[in-house]
Amino acid sequence: MSGSGAKFKAAIPQLGIGLPYFASLPAELYQCGAIDFVEITPEIMCRQRPAGDAIELEVVPQQMVRARSTCAGLPVVVHGVELSIGSAHGWNGAYLKMLDTFQEMWPFVWHSEHLGFQTFRDSDGRTQESGVPLPLPPTSEAADLVARRSATILERYGVPFLLENPAYYLPDPPSDPEIGDDIGLMRTILKRSGSMQLLDLHNVYCNAVNHHFDPFAAVDRMPLDAVAEIHIAGGSWDGGFWMDAHDGRVPEPVWELLEYTLPRCPSVGGIVFEMLEDHVPRLGADGIRQELTRARNVWMNRGQGDGYGATRLPDFTRTVSACL
Amino acid sequence: MALLDFQTSLAQLVRVSDGGDPSKGVSLTPGERRYLSDLAGNPAFCFTVKVQRSWCAGRAGKAAYLTLSILTSEQRDLLLEHWVGSGGGTHSFVGAESEAFLQFIARRLPDPSHELTICRMELAALRSSEGSLIFQRPPLSRIDRADCLLRRGRNAGVVHFYAEPERVLNALLKREPCPAISSDVTTLIFGPGLDRLYTRASWSEMALYDRLQSSVSAAELVAEGFTRETIARLVEGGVLEYAE
Repeated sequence: MSGSGAKFKAAIPQLGIGLPYFASLPAELYQCGAIDFVEITPEIMCRQRPAGDAIELEVVPQQMVRARSTCAGLPVVVHGVELSIGSAHGWNGAYLKMLDTFQEMWPFVWHSEHLGFQTFRDSDGRTQESGVPLPLPPTSEAADLVARRSATILERYGVPFLLENPAYYLPDPPSDPEIGDDIGLMRTILKRSGSMQLLDLHNVYCNAVNHHFDPFAAVDRMPLDAVAEIHIAGGSWDGGFWMDAHDGRVPEPVWELLEYTLPRCPSVGGIVFEMLEDHVPRLGADGIRQELTRARNVWMNRGQGDGYGATRLPDFTRTVSACL
Repeated sequence: MALLDFQTSLAQLVRVSDGGDPSKGVSLTPGERRYLSDLAGNPAFCFTVKVQRSWCAGRAGKAAYLTLSILTSEQRDLLLEHWVGSGGGTHSFVGAESEAFLQFIARRLPDPSHELTICRMELAALRSSEGSLIFQRPPLSRIDRADCLLRRGRNAGVVHFYAEPERVLNALLKREPCPAISSDVTTLIFGPGLDRLYTRASWSEMALYDRLQSSVSAAELVAEGFTRETIARLVEGGVLEYAE
């Protein structure tokens, strides 16, 4: 499986700066040159439909048309939230079926999911939603499960598959010594599956604040050569915890982490400024533009030879063209 | 199966922290069992539960926005607390959450009441709106066939107002007191193919909808005195549909 990993690492195009797609954001924001790609959560364009005893996810054509018009030909990457890739009872097959259709309608450059679980089997054997994503224990069983599924996804979609490191508040769960902690879990899964990492630096910061560790030391332990995308976001204090709220501007320590981390990630293809749609009005289009501009400055200055420039453009153009 | 059992125990503990033992009947290592039992009272666990409740209340609040708007803040908070505390608010898709939460609310509101009317209206509007995304106007010529069976539309519904609907809705929008409950009932009928998804139901439309508690042939309805025009209007609006 590590062979396929090498293959996909080579195929990460240098996209640049990205923004999540929200129907409520002004279309000009996607069309004014401030961003190079769009990160789409396909579930927000879907509705559920009963299909016998199961539930199907269906892309709503009108919403897809509107999104495509807004994104105006920019490359897209998919950032899913509903797969629940770490659920031991089974993942969300309806999500993957929907994604098959989505890919036919709108090919994406890469695809990412959160490393965690949000569905479980209750004591009556029914599938339930936890209501909030929960972290996986760093065990061999969890690593094997997610690595197997990640490899399946890689084959199924033929584009790089990324796993995002989560923010968590719970104390460290019981672990297997050969895996160690959440960083060990990520490293093991990537190695076994050939998938890559979506490094969420706000999540790293959040965990560092809440669990009292040095985020820079944590970054140094991460498999940075396998990082394909970086997320930055804002958060806020709540009840003595720094919350991964995606409710505002990126805090200074996260910018510092980005400046430290970016030059150390040789395969990274882009930075996405994340926010929740509910908080978009408070941030405003100007506020979002300012964060994007700052992210672009960091991207442009990330190190000799790795810049967003002519040397990388042929790769980018070839890969994106193949997807469109 | 350790991971399966650990996830079940942890998720149940987060979702419904009612003091019960979530690890009962599942196979856990002593370390996992100790971890889960140590979570009780742990500030990080309490914060995780708080985040979960907040996300769930946020989803439920969006899913029943109109109905919650007509309730007092005490009623609203109580309903949300009960719903989220019993494991509600976890559906990721607003349609599924709305359906479940509005039904939960409807069972707890007095009948008749303007609050219940708004709740039923929100549910009917949701169903007809979702239905409109896939609704295709059916061929009306089928009504004349001898084997034509009709039933209520899957995405249709009726809502009784115990005052002029405009007065109730205006009170809701302006956050003013609702008019008194009246015995003069106005009925709105909802269907995915109707203009604006609803219309004020005529006496004959209401009688036809009431008649179709189970499938009935179109010929039988005509023989009972329902006009083809009324039948066709409701079929065209998705209020009725062909049964086979």
